Amino acid sequence: MEINEILNERTMKTNMNAGTKDEALHELAGLLLENDYITDIDRFMKDIYAREEIGQTGIGNYIAIPHGKSDFVKEIGVAIGINQSEIPWETLDDHGVKGIILFAVGNDNDGADNHLKLLSMFARKLGNDDVVEKLLHSERTEDVKEAFAG
Amino acid sequence: MKIVGVAACTVGIAHTYIAQEKLEGAAKKAGHEISMETQGTIGTENELSAEQIAEADIVILATDVKLNNRERFDGKRIIEVATDIAVKSPNKLVKKAEEVLAQKQ
Repeated sequence: MEINEILNERTMKTNMNAGTKDEALHELAGLLLENDYITDIDRFMKDIYAREEIGQTGIGNYIAIPHGKSDFVKEIGVAIGINQSEIPWETLDDHGVKGIILFAVGNDNDGADNHLKLLSMFARKLGNDDVVEKLLHSERTEDVKEAFAG
Repeated sequence: MKIVGVAACTVGIAHTYIAQEKLEGAAKKAGHEISMETQGTIGTENELSAEQIAEADIVILATDVKLNNRERFDGKRIIEVATDIAVKSPNKLVKKAEEVLAQKQ
């Protein structure tokens, strides 16, 4: 299994120009909608915000991992945004974030073990400082893919 | 020293695995052996064997939820923290484990 299988350049955006957390989340959720990962952007966002209320999704190192389980997810996937400037976010190290990884996972994941496994492998990569460093410096979507390839 | 542990976060999608990776990285950097089980949406992965648990000097539980089979660790030295702590300060957590073990001896 290759992590690449869960990455889609069409749901990635580099040089993003969001000014707030909400703008960033909407922009990334929009990519998920356009590419048929989710079925309803507003209701998906509601589930994402429900998770935001439980605790910080900013994991430090300028990375945030908003996620939640939602009935409005059709296919498991991730949207990745690299923002040009730091966005205010609730984080573990009190910095803002520049790299936002929005996870789309359904409530009913029957038959999706393969994708869940890939997603867990992908999440592990975010615990690696070298990967994060490369990710934050990605200028093109190919660079983002490359960051997770190592 | 030999460390075993479990990571399990609220939703079981992201923090669990980031905590696992960070703790493994920090422990190895400090020259320790480590094996981290994950309990997430996909289920239990890298499940710890009875032998691994028996041989471990210390157990690190990085969890936000009730663990399955926690009784496996009865009688062991346990450090229990939220997954956020493992994600934020993995090196400190490994250092804490070293200190706890030093006290014991």
